[in-house]
Amino acid sequence: MATGTIFPSEQWFAELARIMKENEGSYRELGAMDCTMVVKVDDCLHEIVFEGFGVKSIRKLDSLDQALPEHFVVEGPLSAWREMIENIRANGAPDLQHTLNYLTFPDDPLLVTGPDQLDIDGFYRFNESLQRFFNGAAAVATAYAG
Amino acid sequence: MAKYTPAVDMGLDRLSEMARGNFDLAWMDSNPQGWGHESKPGPAGLGLVQIETGHYAKIPETGSSHGSMAPRGCFVPEDTPSLGIYDMNDKGEVWSDNAAKLYDEAVTRQWNSATDVPWHKLEKLPDEIEKAVCQMCTGLTEVEFVAGDMPAKWMCHINHDFHEIKLFLATQIMDEARHMDVFRKRALANGGGLLMASPSQEELLAAILQAPNYTTASALMHIFGEGFVLTLFRTGEFLAPTEVEKTIFRLCMQDEARHVAYGVKHLKYFLERYPERVEEIHSILDAGEQAIFALTLEPQTIEPRAILAGNGMENIQEGMMKLAFLYNKQVKEYLHRLKVAGIEREPRMRIPKELPIGELAA
Repeated sequence: MATGTIFPSEQWFAELARIMKENEGSYRELGAMDCTMVVKVDDCLHEIVFEGFGVKSIRKLDSLDQALPEHFVVEGPLSAWREMIENIRANGAPDLQHTLNYLTFPDDPLLVTGPDQLDIDGFYRFNESLQRFFNGAAAVATAYAG
Repeated sequence: MAKYTPAVDMGLDRLSEMARGNFDLAWMDSNPQGWGHESKPGPAGLGLVQIETGHYAKIPETGSSHGSMAPRGCFVPEDTPSLGIYDMNDKGEVWSDNAAKLYDEAVTRQWNSATDVPWHKLEKLPDEIEKAVCQMCTGLTEVEFVAGDMPAKWMCHINHDFHEIKLFLATQIMDEARHMDVFRKRALANGGGLLMASPSQEELLAAILQAPNYTTASALMHIFGEGFVLTLFRTGEFLAPTEVEKTIFRLCMQDEARHVAYGVKHLKYFLERYPERVEEIHSILDAGEQAIFALTLEPQTIEPRAILAGNGMENIQEGMMKLAFLYNKQVKEYLHRLKVAGIEREPRMRIPKELPIGELAA
């Protein structure tokens, strides 16, 4: 049986937040990040609020209505998220075909949505920082829900 | 004949008074309303958002008539001379509620093309791929600094009371300088070079620079032009053959999205005050859409992307099919941004909503 922090879960994102805090200097180089990202894995929702150079809060949501008003959603099936995380863990960072932008640009296998286009644009505005946040997965032993 | 000019003599008289211990000190109590102000840093440091509160957050609907560079919120002596250049005094002409926040974001998110791009990871690419990358970079080097020239043209007209806008636009000019230089560097760094300029691109640039007023120029550039380029940057990252281009496009994408965010919120602010002027916006978008459609289908624009999308010359037609998706996404996001700004553009749009490559090929 695989051991590790379950993805998706509040604990898994808290691990990434911890790694972000440990490496705050590298996030300061990228600049401040104020945005709210909802990660949707199949029907499971987690809201991650970024503020300044770190994570302000993480919570599991029952529905998108509970998310802060200005947010974007990165969504896709567990298989796509798993492939991305495994790729990051194998290489220490994603290869050319597993960056957040690569996976979301064709709207498949991941998709970015939001209340309006400006909210969706938040994903583009902070993309390098978001990529670095997920790159933290390289150091998180991960098991998968289901 | 007097040794000095009257202005110098007056200065010497003042010096003489001070030498005798007679100081003016009127400046110390000149601005009681603005005194006692405190600000505390936020999570990302001390930004404009934190300091522009209370007395200093009072942004006039019409910029001060003194026409000087005196900072908003200070006491301005009556004899302060006007600079005579600020003729954009209406807040509605320039304002955007997110400008201070975007400025704060921009100053901490600056990067540089010399050391933030992993140039050491450049690798020898097949000739046709290197040519495609270099042609794409030629086009982007050509277009990027219009978003520097356009704000520069208008900034010295904007009343100093709207400094949030001027400061944000200054960051945009720096962003665009960086974009121009990073694409030029990529074209010249890997055994290739600059290839063919784009006459169609110049038509769009002219429409932006010759727009009759700031808001129409902003709608055409910030929302339309930069919105399309933002999607191009996303495409660039998607098609990038090495980590070098990936990094360049991701970093540029972030900057471009800030500019788009300003443009959308400015147009929204403008139209809430002047809904009757929506036709001006539609007219400039009519012209912009014609220009960008011609530009999109110009060989030096579309063919290099088709080669990259097909991963080589032999699959260029397959690459063209993939590019239809890019165009459709550009148009969809453009229409959605205008909707946020308060414009229902789709019924009026002068270009196809989707690129019919598949139909034409059949």
